[in-house]
Amino acid sequence: MKKSRRIGSKIFMGVLMLFFYAPIIYTIFFSFNSGRSLTHFDGFSLQWYGKMFSDSNMLQAVFYTIVIAVIATAVSTIVGTITAIGLSKSHRILKLIVEQVNNFPLMNPDIVTAIGLLMLFSGLHASKGFVTMLLAHIMFCIPYVMLSVTPKLKSLDSNILEAAMDLGCTPMQALIKVIVPQIMPGVVSGALIAFTMSFDDFVISYFVTGNGVSNISILVYTMSKRVNPSINALSTLIIVIISVFLLLVNIVPSLYNKSKAKSAKG
Amino acid sequence: MKSFRKMTYPYVVWISFIVVAPMFLILLYAFTKEGNAVMDFVFTLDNFKKFFVDSVFIDVLLRSLRVALVTTVLCILIGYPAGYFIAKSSEGVKMRWVLLITFPTWINMLVRTYAWVGILQDDGIVNNILSIIGVRSITLLHTEFAVILGMVYNFLPFMILQIYTALTKMDNSLLEAAADLGADRVRSFLKVTLPLSLPGVLSGITLVFLPAVSSFFIPKLLGGGQYVMVGNLIESQFLTSGDWNFGSAISLIMVIIIMISLYLTKKVDKTELTERRAN
Amino acid sequence: MKKLIQFKNIVKNFDGTLVLKGINLDIYENEFVTLLGPSGCGKTTLLRILGGFLEPDEGSVIFDGQDISGIPPYKRDLNTVFQKYALFPHMNVFDNIAFGLNIKKEPKDIIEQKVMRMLRLVGLEDYSKRGIHEMSGGQQQRVAIARALVNEPKVLLLDEPLGALDAKLRKEMQKELKKIQQEVGITFIFVTHDQEEALTMSDKIVIMKDGEIQQIGTPVDIYNEPINRYVANFIGESNIIDGVMKDDYKVIFENKEFKCVDSGFNKNEEVDVVIRPEDLDIVTPGKGKLRGIVKSVLFKGVHYETIVETSAGTSITVKMTVSEDKPVKNEEANEMMSANDFYIDTLDIDELTDAVIIDRADAQAWNPETEERISITEVRYEVKKEKGSYPVTFSTSAGTSFTVNMFVSDVNKVVDEDYGEEIYAVNFFKKVDEIQESVILDTDLKVWANAYAYDLEDETSVAITDVIYDFDPQNITPGVYDVTFKTQGYVYKVDTTEKSEAGQAVGLMFDPEDIHIMRK
Repeated sequence: MKKSRRIGSKIFMGVLMLFFYAPIIYTIFFSFNSGRSLTHFDGFSLQWYGKMFSDSNMLQAVFYTIVIAVIATAVSTIVGTITAIGLSKSHRILKLIVEQVNNFPLMNPDIVTAIGLLMLFSGLHASKGFVTMLLAHIMFCIPYVMLSVTPKLKSLDSNILEAAMDLGCTPMQALIKVIVPQIMPGVVSGALIAFTMSFDDFVISYFVTGNGVSNISILVYTMSKRVNPSINALSTLIIVIISVFLLLVNIVPSLYNKSKAKSAKG
Repeated sequence: MKSFRKMTYPYVVWISFIVVAPMFLILLYAFTKEGNAVMDFVFTLDNFKKFFVDSVFIDVLLRSLRVALVTTVLCILIGYPAGYFIAKSSEGVKMRWVLLITFPTWINMLVRTYAWVGILQDDGIVNNILSIIGVRSITLLHTEFAVILGMVYNFLPFMILQIYTALTKMDNSLLEAAADLGADRVRSFLKVTLPLSLPGVLSGITLVFLPAVSSFFIPKLLGGGQYVMVGNLIESQFLTSGDWNFGSAISLIMVIIIMISLYLTKKVDKTELTERRAN
Repeated sequence: MKKLIQFKNIVKNFDGTLVLKGINLDIYENEFVTLLGPSGCGKTTLLRILGGFLEPDEGSVIFDGQDISGIPPYKRDLNTVFQKYALFPHMNVFDNIAFGLNIKKEPKDIIEQKVMRMLRLVGLEDYSKRGIHEMSGGQQQRVAIARALVNEPKVLLLDEPLGALDAKLRKEMQKELKKIQQEVGITFIFVTHDQEEALTMSDKIVIMKDGEIQQIGTPVDIYNEPINRYVANFIGESNIIDGVMKDDYKVIFENKEFKCVDSGFNKNEEVDVVIRPEDLDIVTPGKGKLRGIVKSVLFKGVHYETIVETSAGTSITVKMTVSEDKPVKNEEANEMMSANDFYIDTLDIDELTDAVIIDRADAQAWNPETEERISITEVRYEVKKEKGSYPVTFSTSAGTSFTVNMFVSDVNKVVDEDYGEEIYAVNFFKKVDEIQESVILDTDLKVWANAYAYDLEDETSVAITDVIYDFDPQNITPGVYDVTFKTQGYVYKVDTTEKSEAGQAVGLMFDPEDIHIMRK
């Protein structure tokens, strides 16, 4: 009875994993297809990878995606961290208001945020493209950074800032020497979230961009209207990069901890 | 300390400009039509009238709600046992499962959704397998089935993780206490585990229902150009027909529906809690 | 000695509540000053104003002859040891202590010298490279002290620094802190709610309550001459008795006149009389100035803490009728049932419910084989609001029934004007086995007799501390017994090295100088 239940749940989880990973495996598999078809495998070839690297649209989209993600991450991490620190010392009401407004982009459907920004940029007669897309990305990334930094600030010893000032730090020195080093884990994970949010964004970018500036998501969306196996090649590349990245993120800290534990013992 | 407070001012200016102002623009456009030269905007309810009078638009709204609802129910039915299974696994295995579930979500949603286009095609892998078994090939792509499948595929991990977190937070000694007080496995599940994991299910519902009802690229990729949901309707108002007033009104209607459903789930959460406390 | 710090009329309020109501306080050089009071008395707020973390709403702080209001904390020549230490977790012990010197950009070799000297002072010379989380609570405490002292401040502020330590470590640190203070020779301002800590370490104690200073003085002064009831209660243990000052050096309490050493009160002024437990002696009943009965004796290690009651509290005696009535058995339904006669006040008749009657009659029905309880579904009775006996019949749904008498009588109460108390109880009926089976007989007797005591002034309930009877519960036979319920009378706490027995009659002895008189 117990055994059959266990086998049942194993099968269930197995099917679930197949469901989650089938499209990913499928994408990787067909990126090596020599034919154009998305359904028949005609033989192994790397031609779509070659096409990808010679497709200037694709390369440009990859470039914009990365540049925007990097800048948006840097700006939102700095601004989000500074604001979160300031807010932690601010009046309750201001905290509440900022929290509520931050919730708009988090809770609203992306499409609503997107059309709001579209109308704002048009109203200001801003020409849509790289700058508008970057501003939009910074806008939706900052709340994520703040969400990740604020709990770290809350868990700090309430006297830590005062202790630093008591020992002669000016408020700015206290911030840099005492507060920032301690909330660093939250800042890093906030930056990570901001990066992936920016990297993966489709809906908001799609509405606020223009003048031929597009990112990977927009590219996939527009290309999907006709069959293009280069998308599979690009997707495979992204999958590989993210796998390596996640592997590093998950393995490096545990290795680091191990070596630290060893050195502490020795 | 006062100098720290000043650090929030730039951000306050920034959000009032880039978050609050767009919200006002949506409200403004939804309730106005373009006026004559003297006045830029004229107040009107026509945009809402247009939506509710025309059965085409109502159909789109109902379809979106139906699809989102079915998606949510399917996510609960699949996500609960999965979350439960992971929560009951041993410590080391747990993290491996969580990683397996979260990994696909790190990959671009469009990329993953696009892969289903190939799988579901008439001569795609699913139909190939079906024909091997001897079933006649069926149209899968560009159906409501494909849209719901794509949504479940994209949003199910959120539900599983919410339920898993709620279940792991639960104190194991509660189950021991229930057993001690004479409850068998089924009863302690129904009386202890299920009620305590309900908050997880509810936050899972918000995480699934909300993006499902407003999604527009999943219906576009998997439902085909003829399959229209609210998201597609808004998109076309802004990017093809250029009727911003109507588009804003539709967005507002959608946001209100979402707010009502959020309020209802919160209320369920609260009454559950108070009832439990009262008992 | 030179005045180092002056608080002048400091007022502070948080969101409309006054936390400090005009504090005036002088602190001298090289003093160990303790701000003592319960949480919320404003002591930490005062310390934070001195540290520069809060601004007073009114008043000024003079430090070394200069008004320092408005000077930020990092420019003040004082350092703080925080409640939970506030050590920097991302730095090791050395870097924590060196932090202040690094900020001041002192040369590396000087920093090293100073830090090592501090580590030696607090006995942590081998721990300089340790992480903060690898240190115990007591060690972290020492690091925090060293981190503050290394900056050579004129004043060290300590905000309940020993609160997080266990009792034994706290005692050690008290000694050590005192030693360090004497060694470095600067002013320590110490905040605590622990009176023992304050008495052990301080040169001067400042007792605060609700944002006001109650008393300032040396530990000995404050202990021996508390200024009011609050201080007397807060510092050490004390017996505080209501008294009247008849004349200089003459005080009346417990209706007797005693000599004392206090003067300067009005004639017949009502006062509080304080006698410390260790100033009372237990003697044979005839020889003491007061007589009493020993209520309890607790062994406290060095001494016995003996509670002596000098006058009884309010008491009431009721009759308990014990019978050997057997329960009835309903063979058909296989049910047993029992209940007993009971008394009830005329006043309670209006509030009579079935549940009250079942409770008072202790009516029960049960299955004799499984011992499972069966609900009583019907209570039948007729009652008038006058004295007399009325039958009450209980029955179950299976038809088992039992009839008892309900006696309605006048309210049975005793009023004691001296204590301002009122005590109620009623006569009751019980069965032999119920008394034998009771595991909490005193409590059961209170319940059965429905005994309650009230304060006449505010109608709050007063605890019934004694239940007195002279039967042996295990071997009780049918008959009528007296049961007396009593509240607490005047009690004295006495610390002695000799052991007394509870129930013993004793005398209490004290000298005129053991009495301390305080204004109400």
